[in-house]
Amino acid sequence: MPIGIMAAIGLACGLIIYLVYIKVPQKVKGLEKTEEITSILPGMNCGACGYPGCFAYAQALSQDPDLVTKTPCSQVLQDPDSLAKLEKALGCKLDAAAMCKKALVHCGGNSETVCDYYGVQTCKAAAQLLRGYRKCPYACLGLGDCVEICPQGAISIDPEKNIAIVDPEKCTGCGLCVTECPQDLIELVPAGTKVAFLCNYQPLKNIPGRERCDYGCTHCRKCFKACEFEAIEWNKETALPEFNQEKCTLCLKCVEVCPQNTLADFTKMGKEKEAELVAAK
Amino acid sequence: MSELVAIFLGMVLINNFILVRFLGLCPFFGVSKQLGSAISMGVAVTFVMAIASLATWLIRNYILIPLDIEYMHIVIFILVIATLVQIIELFIKKTNLGLYFSFGIYLPLITTNCAVLGITLINATQDYSLSSSIVAALGGGLGFTLVLAIMSGIREKLELANTPKSMKGLPIAFIIAALLGLAFVGFSGII
Repeated sequence: MPIGIMAAIGLACGLIIYLVYIKVPQKVKGLEKTEEITSILPGMNCGACGYPGCFAYAQALSQDPDLVTKTPCSQVLQDPDSLAKLEKALGCKLDAAAMCKKALVHCGGNSETVCDYYGVQTCKAAAQLLRGYRKCPYACLGLGDCVEICPQGAISIDPEKNIAIVDPEKCTGCGLCVTECPQDLIELVPAGTKVAFLCNYQPLKNIPGRERCDYGCTHCRKCFKACEFEAIEWNKETALPEFNQEKCTLCLKCVEVCPQNTLADFTKMGKEKEAELVAAK
Repeated sequence: MSELVAIFLGMVLINNFILVRFLGLCPFFGVSKQLGSAISMGVAVTFVMAIASLATWLIRNYILIPLDIEYMHIVIFILVIATLVQIIELFIKKTNLGLYFSFGIYLPLITTNCAVLGITLINATQDYSLSSSIVAALGGGLGFTLVLAIMSGIREKLELANTPKSMKGLPIAFIIAALLGLAFVGFSGII
């Protein structure tokens, strides 16, 4: 008799599950499309698009294809194969050349270290104490928060200068490092950038760069005068040069002429000392 | 009323499921890496505990006791809990697919979770009334969620610390759990 009761309760439970199963439709709308898009996406689940993983992003895309122009997956933009497949799946055209961005660390890294730091070895912790242990309060601290967060492994720490350098070939411009850096050093620049400006000292009209570090911009305007192709404009408000990458022919006259070595060739960043660059930690 | 408050407080702090009774340790160590998923897990377990308490109380008082087969309670409770978890899984899969995937294996693991079976057996052995059972279940679930939230907060901060390589991950989590348990012993004897 007790076995009969147990069997009866078991059967009742089974019946309830079956009823719920047929009442609650399991075919979520658009699941096939979501799975198709998920197979096209890189599957790294880096979270740079703002969604918790490639599957969630694919779900959002299957409901609203316009999302791909507002928050594109930067890795797909770089790979022409996946880009073509995604365009076909969503039925839209993406201007990859205009949307591609790369990260740039705006620091030349020659500000001298003022003290020894023995705290928690992350940039965020070091930046809490008077903005870091470098003479320039906006310098790169080189403890590698950006190195850890980069899903492509495109950032490495230069062992001589102790600053982070982004390899533009590996970088997909996802933007995770931008939010991670506590000194607001990293900026997403268009992929066609030719000349990089390596100073982060916030714009003032006096000459702060020279007294803080050897690489600081002194607002001397030599680069502006040296450019023969009118690719550099001088912004009077911020007293900084602005580069027009389309007119730039990569003659590198401005890089040579700059007395502070603040400018550099963006296309060669991270490649000169490839043998010596090691990852932080 | 004061009895309900005493039961509730007892379940949340004094006889906390994880740190004092040592039940439900599997999701405690498995899901406590991030605050978001820890809270979701706690809410799911609370929900299962509450509904399971209700269902098992009804079955015990209206089927098992009148028919004098109270000794079958463990098996029958497990059946009921498994059914409930399956139904909840079907609902979560339909409404929020992302949450379903983020739980992974830990959602069906609530079925075999000692804490859920524990609350139903506590209700049975202490012979609680219906309101006391549900209050006890809610308290148990809240205590579970509380400790899960504390542990995930600590573990997130632990990522930054300089842990020795052999202690990274689970070993240091066990030690932290032991320290937390020691702290919670301070609550004993209040009621």
